[in-house]
Amino acid sequence: MSPAVLNYAIVMFCSLFAAGALIYIFLPSRDTDTGVLKTRVVYLYERKDVVYENLRDLNFEFKSGKFTQADYDGMRLGMEAEAARILAEIEMLESAKA
Amino acid sequence: MPLLGNFCLLFALALAIYCFVVGVIAAVSKNAVGYRLAETARRAGMASFVAVLLAAVALVYSALTDDFSVAYILHHSNRALPAPYKFAVLWSGQEGSMLFWALLLSCYGFVLRLRHKVDQRLVAMASMVLAGIQVFFLILVNFVAKPFGMMDRVVADGNGLNPLLQYPEMVIHPPMLYLGYVGVSVPFAFALAALIMRYPGEKWIHLTRKWTMIAWCFQSVGILLGAHWAYAVLGWGGYWGWDPVENASLLPWLSGTAFLHSVMMQEKRGMMKVWNIWLIFITFMLSILGTLLTRAGLVSSVHAFAQSSIGPWFTTLLGVVFAVCLIFYIKNRDHLKAENKLESLVSRESSFLFNNLVLLGACFAVLCGTLFPILSEAVRGVKMNLGAPFYNKVMIPIGLFLIFLTGVGPLLAWRSTSYGSIKRNFAIPATVSFTVMVTLMVVWYRSGIRFWTDLNQIYALLSFTLGTLVTATIASEFIRGGRVLQNKLQTNLLAGVYLLMRRNMRRYGGYVVHFGVVLVIIGLAGTAFNKDQEKELGVADSMQIGHYELRNQEYTQDDNANYRSEAALLDVYKDGKYLTRLNPEERWFKASGGQPVHIVANYSTLVEDLYVIYEGSPNGHPFIKALVNPLVNWIWIGVLVIIFGTGMALVPNAAPVTAQVPKAVAVSAMEKQGMRAAGVSE
Repeated sequence: MSPAVLNYAIVMFCSLFAAGALIYIFLPSRDTDTGVLKTRVVYLYERKDVVYENLRDLNFEFKSGKFTQADYDGMRLGMEAEAARILAEIEMLESAKA
Repeated sequence: MPLLGNFCLLFALALAIYCFVVGVIAAVSKNAVGYRLAETARRAGMASFVAVLLAAVALVYSALTDDFSVAYILHHSNRALPAPYKFAVLWSGQEGSMLFWALLLSCYGFVLRLRHKVDQRLVAMASMVLAGIQVFFLILVNFVAKPFGMMDRVVADGNGLNPLLQYPEMVIHPPMLYLGYVGVSVPFAFALAALIMRYPGEKWIHLTRKWTMIAWCFQSVGILLGAHWAYAVLGWGGYWGWDPVENASLLPWLSGTAFLHSVMMQEKRGMMKVWNIWLIFITFMLSILGTLLTRAGLVSSVHAFAQSSIGPWFTTLLGVVFAVCLIFYIKNRDHLKAENKLESLVSRESSFLFNNLVLLGACFAVLCGTLFPILSEAVRGVKMNLGAPFYNKVMIPIGLFLIFLTGVGPLLAWRSTSYGSIKRNFAIPATVSFTVMVTLMVVWYRSGIRFWTDLNQIYALLSFTLGTLVTATIASEFIRGGRVLQNKLQTNLLAGVYLLMRRNMRRYGGYVVHFGVVLVIIGLAGTAFNKDQEKELGVADSMQIGHYELRNQEYTQDDNANYRSEAALLDVYKDGKYLTRLNPEERWFKASGGQPVHIVANYSTLVEDLYVIYEGSPNGHPFIKALVNPLVNWIWIGVLVIIFGTGMALVPNAAPVTAQVPKAVAVSAMEKQGMRAAGVSE
């Protein structure tokens, strides 16, 4: 292939690529889902899941013999209080919304 | 091909600018039009990847077809260069490596934008941040460090690739390191996006967890491949010389390691939000600094294969990134309030905190040492280098303390740990490690090693002891957890351990990574017992080192299209018994003006390496340097374990067992203060 023909082919390829890319970018999307705005309540539900997971881990570690009964009781109480605070705030925000 | 490359780079820049600018407009407008604009920005970002990929393909094609009309190919390749190294030309020089940075960044961005459904708004903002970084690199490759610059005249052959880079690992090492450096951009983009948006919660951490771990793993592998390359090619017998470029790769790794640990505190307890966000900002900035040091030739190094004027550009980028991070931090810092406080100094939280402080201390020490020549020149007009003794003095104690924390941390409870729990958890690991320490002391003493007279050997003793402590704590975590499941599910211990890992892959994968680090530390500790010897060997002459005897059988020369070489053929005997033949070699690559390169001969076992270097033949006979380096192989095995552990941590957990707690029960429990809020079992 001569250099001139090669250059011509490259120019054609570049033009097609650019045109294809622009069509792809500006073609109206059928997907109108814009995502949801994350609220404090959604965040609190996430935190609740984390605290429950922490409680499960704590129970498991206690069963494996890692902590004394006193340590376990103290930690469990603290985590339960944290879960309760979160649930109370969820309840409050959801009832205010309703 | 240069025409295609130039067009694609320019088009990619236009698309990246569109992605960034329209991304900003969409973020500000927050209406239906804004959302549609954000979608076009996302698609532009994806299209920019294809454009950069085509440009990279055009450059590799030019290298493979010996197109010396392209200045970059002329300067970094030649006709006789083997094909894999022609492929590696892409990242061998300044312009190519900038293009490679842009390619990897756009590739990461492509995957991120493809997976935008995980959280469209957060991903849109992170995509905008990534596009901003991409604009910078595309400006560089379009206007400052152009990979497709043309020659005025056609030249028959190129200057060739730097001989030090003509080694198989060099085809893998730079991409690994770059994947690590560039990979940090993704968690950075998410962190900045979350801060800008005042995004509630830790979702940005969950979304970037895998990205961060993958980037960290690439960095680890890249650093250790670099160490292996230095060991195999540079021919000085070591693998880490505290060279500025080695240090530059270590800096983001240290801060990234701190980040990987401290995010757990935010995820579990909602703590250290400010710390974490700045940690990832700093890690990203250190990645940029690493690229600056490697590519701008700011400091002299055996690893710096480019010297150029891109320094001010990177310094400006660092300044802009810092300013943007600071502005949004000041504006939205109230959003980063911690939800819990540190309750006790003896807790998992405090062990993470100490781990972070120590890692950042190490990072600061390495940064100071690396930048010291620049600082001393600026202040006193004299370039002063801090060598290995400085780093060893500072880093070895820091490293030992880190191993200690690695052993202690997993055994402490969240919130607070009592003396009773400490005694219960530490009795076995402490006894095992103490026994190992005493045994080693006795064995060494009987072997004539007076370790108390050599600080390095004392450090080695501590490394083995603390390594045992970490291994014992890891084993106790696996066995204890495995036993619980063994009893509960009426199965055997092995199945229990397997189920335990499937239950929390991240945690147990992390332990495997810790074990890999222990193996690396054991390999490093072996340095304290290195031996070396050098001698000129005529035919049939021999030299003794440790248990080994080297007998020179022959001395050969070779000449091919790429290089000429000299080698000695040495028969190796151990305690009088023939072992193998080694051929240490020296090569002079023709296209590079005859720069010599050592091809080291290495007889490697799990116990030690017999490392032989051909140091030339000044008097007509080979001059041989031999070293016995104990335990080196454990470093490379440790790396494989680290990769395996990271892979494990990336595997999703088996479906969790969840327990639903009625809200009413929990709220009432709170009111009654002290009643159990959630009856949750494992």
